[in-house]
Amino acid sequence: MRWFFLILAIATVALVCALGPRGQKFSSPPFMLFPDMDNQYKVKAQKPSPFFENGQGARTPVEGTVPLGYTYPGESADSVARTSRDYSRGSDYLNTGLFGDFYGKGFPEEIKMDEAFLERGKQRYQITCTPCHGEAGNGAGIVSKYWAIPPTANLIDPRVKEMPEGQIFWTITHGKGLMGPYNGVTSVNDRWAITAYLRALQAAAGK
Amino acid sequence: MGNIFPRWTNLLAVKILVCLGALGTCVVAVAWYSFTPKFTRVGYMPQQPIPFDHSVHAGQLGMDCRYCHTHVENSPHSNIPAAQVCWNCHGPGKVKSDSPKLEPLRRAMDVNDPNYTGKPIEWVQLHKVPDYAHFNHSAHVNRGVSCVECHGRIDEMPVVYHAKPLSMSWCLECHRDPGKVLRPLNEITNLAWEADDLSPDEFYAYVAGKTGTSTDELKKADTGKEWDRELIGAHLQKAWGVHPPQDCAACHH
Repeated sequence: MRWFFLILAIATVALVCALGPRGQKFSSPPFMLFPDMDNQYKVKAQKPSPFFENGQGARTPVEGTVPLGYTYPGESADSVARTSRDYSRGSDYLNTGLFGDFYGKGFPEEIKMDEAFLERGKQRYQITCTPCHGEAGNGAGIVSKYWAIPPTANLIDPRVKEMPEGQIFWTITHGKGLMGPYNGVTSVNDRWAITAYLRALQAAAGK
Repeated sequence: MGNIFPRWTNLLAVKILVCLGALGTCVVAVAWYSFTPKFTRVGYMPQQPIPFDHSVHAGQLGMDCRYCHTHVENSPHSNIPAAQVCWNCHGPGKVKSDSPKLEPLRRAMDVNDPNYTGKPIEWVQLHKVPDYAHFNHSAHVNRGVSCVECHGRIDEMPVVYHAKPLSMSWCLECHRDPGKVLRPLNEITNLAWEADDLSPDEFYAYVAGKTGTSTDELKKADTGKEWDRELIGAHLQKAWGVHPPQDCAACHH
């Protein structure tokens, strides 16, 4: 019996030592005691799927079809190359910032301009735009402090102040120069809200 | 008739029981300590295809979590950003665009790269609930539960690791007492937020407006209480009517 306890104690201590304390860093996938149904064979968000030829779980609409509530990407006035599956945009002013071949002035009639809308614009501006354009819109974002990449646009400059709203919306959507397109990460409504907040920043900067 | 069993066997049954008891205790103790998500999941730190440094992006540069995880407020799934989002800053001529660490990004995005494939970057998922449990990010972040409550101080992690167990009992701890984790909605992505960062006057005015009471009444009721997360959370829980479900079907629907 004495031997039994001795061996048991040694075995337990050895096992605990081998497993180590809680919270250690490790890189192999976590051990699962009962993995039943934890990983089901189904398509999950942003996950690969061996069922499909290209291995991607996320699917695009079948060729020639349009999802409900979207418009088919028609030829539009702007000459920017677009992907053939850019369904989310209609060809009206709200979705393009354009009237025919021209940037529109003013906000689309679908937009209800109130304090909540401006607040939304402020929040989205601070999330998405400040790293480069700075909190005040003067182009002195954190990026310009660390890296000597070509200067970011000063958004409170008269040049941007005189831009029609449609052009600002269009620029957020498609990018310009080094700036990439932000249509994937901001919704149409948020882009108008950012445009509205930018107008407020410009007014606050005066002149 | 002689003794069939020698004398030493008298205590054998007792001894076996004691030994089995000791063995059982040891097995339970090891399982209690090591076969729980606190052991098996906390500390999981897989290597990612690109050694993306959250402590630089979210910490040093102060970028908002939602710059990349754009749909966390609208979707059950908090998205990993598309390579386009990385490319917005790390594209040609921009920040550290020729770093060798960004090779997988160039393979996904740069049509001029000889190794261009156009395929998505295969990031490794760390935080995972089992497929029979449904977690909705938008329901939490829109009701005052910050990223930090489940993911830890991501803004201080050069390499992200699993900081909390994400076990069922751990979920239920908050669902039974949500007050301790609630915070004002504009501080959701401020992982370093503390109770002292909040101005009591503004907060009471906000709560009074939400609950239809007066600031003075609220302050009077709180005299002598410490200004901490619990107090703030309790007010918010009442003001917003936060009643997290505790039935099985809430998550296992």
